[in-house]
This record gives sequence, structure tokens and C-alpha cells, in this order.
Amino acid sequence: MDEKTLDEIISRYDSPSGRLLGILEEIQTSEGYIPRDVLEMLSVKLDVRLSQLYSLVTFYSFFSLKPIGEHVVTVCMGTACHVRGAAEILTTLEKLLGIERGTTQDGKYSVTTKDNKFTLEIARCFGACSIAPVIDIDGDLYGYTTPERLPEILEDYGWREP
Amino acid sequence: MTYGEVGRRDQPEKPITILINGKKCMAREGEIVLSVALREGVAIPHLCYEASLEPYGGCRLCMVEATDHGRTSMTTACSLRATEGLEVCTDTPEVVKYRNVLFELYLAEAPKSETIKEMAARYGVTKTSFLKKIDIEDALGGKCVLCGLCVRVCTEIMGAGAINFINRGPYTVVNTPYFEANTDCLGCGACANVCPTHAIQIEDRNGERVLHSWGGIKIPLKRCSSCGKYYTPEALAVSVQNTLMPPIRSDLAGFCPACRAKKCADMEIRAHMKTEGEGNHV
Repeated sequence: MDEKTLDEIISRYDSPSGRLLGILEEIQTSEGYIPRDVLEMLSVKLDVRLSQLYSLVTFYSFFSLKPIGEHVVTVCMGTACHVRGAAEILTTLEKLLGIERGTTQDGKYSVTTKDNKFTLEIARCFGACSIAPVIDIDGDLYGYTTPERLPEILEDYGWREP
Repeated sequence: MTYGEVGRRDQPEKPITILINGKKCMAREGEIVLSVALREGVAIPHLCYEASLEPYGGCRLCMVEATDHGRTSMTTACSLRATEGLEVCTDTPEVVKYRNVLFELYLAEAPKSETIKEMAARYGVTKTSFLKKIDIEDALGGKCVLCGLCVRVCTEIMGAGAINFINRGPYTVVNTPYFEANTDCLGCGACANVCPTHAIQIEDRNGERVLHSWGGIKIPLKRCSSCGKYYTPEALAVSVQNTLMPPIRSDLAGFCPACRAKKCADMEIRAHMKTEGEGNHV
């Protein structure tokens, strides 16, 4: 993100309070993550300490500090999905995408494949419990998922069996 | 007048009487009850209280039972303000129960902190029934209780804002952005001074101050131009000198406090001798 785009985003927020999250949200949406240089630039432009911005960005799971993959696969781990086998869906996805579940230091579950094609995340309920277990890929919901069906779904997004 | 303004210096302060554990205590209206209790020698455990900062109520250890106009409630003494007739109890069964659970939680949160162990033991809590499931690599060596004092001092008093809370829930830590050395830090060391569990590691060596806990920030120390001793971090000296009005005299600016005092006294004496009579030398 260049300086001009950032200035344009900032200019749309004139209220001194509550604008930080709005601006950060726009950066996250347009870049897919919060790049470090943009965060540092924002800190200078708004005269807000970098430590405060970093605190905000790491607090909300919506923000990511690392670039995310081309496609984002989100597994619902809500109660209904959980009892209908979401854990098994997640481990199968990890296996298929070749992702090792690392213990993250920040508590956010977001892992990206080495080729940067897929990012695997978890969520707490999409509000689609009637078709549990649910996964979401780039905004499209897939209900009644089973581990067996997953390869077929992923193939639509360019996944190939290694 | 809003709640926060009660008892500020520009308001007339009325001396009032409050009861702490049945003992009559003099207080100024709007004064923080924890501060009154400490002055009166009533021990209330606390971790996040610092008189020079705004009330915070983060550590919850100073929980007391307060009765005001017949209404009793549990509240933190560090955010409770004195009003006429206020009654405060620091050791009711409910307060004790509450405090013991808190001590157990703190023992689990900061298992390596001797301060917490000693403090808890003083109130009869020596073991915890809680287990910290998420054990993260911590730059503060398992001693941080996330009371937030260092963050508040750095931001509110020093105006530096070099450190802040990072992440959320059980993953929360205090550190610099990206866990790296940053340029907002003045090297003042206030964070380490206020830390109740002595978790923050700072070292002065070879003419620089190293903040081990904060991504290893290195701030060069300033040498006194008279005695040659290192006496303050350079960034702090610059920041302080910028806020002084009138500014410090240029011939004293490079001196450490001891040399500055000596030089001032010397100048005073010389000026005095001059008025006593020309030609008299000591």
C-alpha cells in the first residue's frame, strides 16, 4: 500500500476517536494483512504510538500481521459444528494442505501453506448450525462437510493431490 | 463536577472522617481510600496501584467491602474515593475468599515470581489449584502478572509509549511492537522501577543502558562533563531538557545532578563573597 492510498483512507475518517479500527480494517481488507511499513507510516501520520497500534492489531483476530494465502479456508469450531465433527474436518484439512499445527505465540489460529495458496483459519460459529459441520472458503459456505468430501471441494480452488 | 474531578487540587478539599475496619481515619474528600489506608497503617495487598497514576483497578487485590449510605458493595480500594461516613472493611469473609482466589490465580499466572509467593504466603495462600495451560515464551521470565503499571507509567508519565499489551486472553504479554528494539523508548527505566514483581531486566554496561526485556533496546548513557561519570540515558536527557521552562543554563546542561549542585553552591558562595567584600577569597 502506498502513501497516497493510506492518505486517502485516513481522509475518510475525520473523527478523532474510534477511527483507528476503521482505518486498520480498510488496510486489512485491501492488503489481506497489516504490512509493517504501513503500520509504521500510520503511526507517524496519526501521531499514535506504534505500540498502541500493534496492541490493537494483535488483540483482534480479524487483523493479521502475516500475508495470507490466495484462498482462505475457515473451519467453524462452534458448538454445533464441534459435536458434528469439526475437529476431524480441521485435522483432515491440515493433512491435505500439508500444514503442521504449530503452537502460535499469539493465540490466533491462522496458518498459511508454503506456496501461499491457502490459509487455514478457525472461527466460532457462522450462524449456519443447521448445516453443520460448516467450512467457509473465500466467503462461500460448505455445509454437511465430511473429511471424504474435502479434496473435491478444495480442487475447485486449485488444490491438487501432492 | 464529574466523579473524576472530586478532590482534585483545584477543588476545595474538605477534611472528612471515614471508618476503616472500625478505625476512624482522617481523609480529604475524594481521596483514594487505598492511599488513606496505607497512610493509617492498614495493610491492603495491591499490585497495580501507583499514587501518581490515574486509578486503574487492574489487579483486583485491594478488594474491600464498602458501605456508603447503608449500601454495601465489593469494590477496589484503589478506585474508591473517600466520602463522609464511608465505612470500609478489609477482612470480611467475602473479601478473604475473594482475595485467596486471586492469590491462587496469581500464583498460577506468575509461577516464578518470589514477590507473589511471599505476598500470597502472608495471606496464608501457599499453593494454587489453577494450572496455566498456555505457557508462552515470555521475555519477562514468568514473573509478569499483567498489572499494566509499566505500560501506564511509560505512556501516562513519561509520554514515551514504547511498550504496550500484545495479544489477548491467556496469550497476553507486555512488550515493544514486533518484540524489537524501538526508538520511542527513552531508557528511563521507570517500567522496571514500578514493576511489583521485578520482572523487567535492565542493565547499565559499557556506557549504555540495555533493556533486556524490551527486545534488547540499547540507549547510550550520557557522561557528566565535570566528573566523567555516566549519569542518565541520552534520550531521556534530551526529552527532559526539552520540557524544562526556563531551560537549564547552558554551562550546567552537561553536568550530573551532583556536579550541578556543587557548581550552583560554588557560584552562590562566590557571589556572596563578592558582596561581603571585594578581594576576600576562600
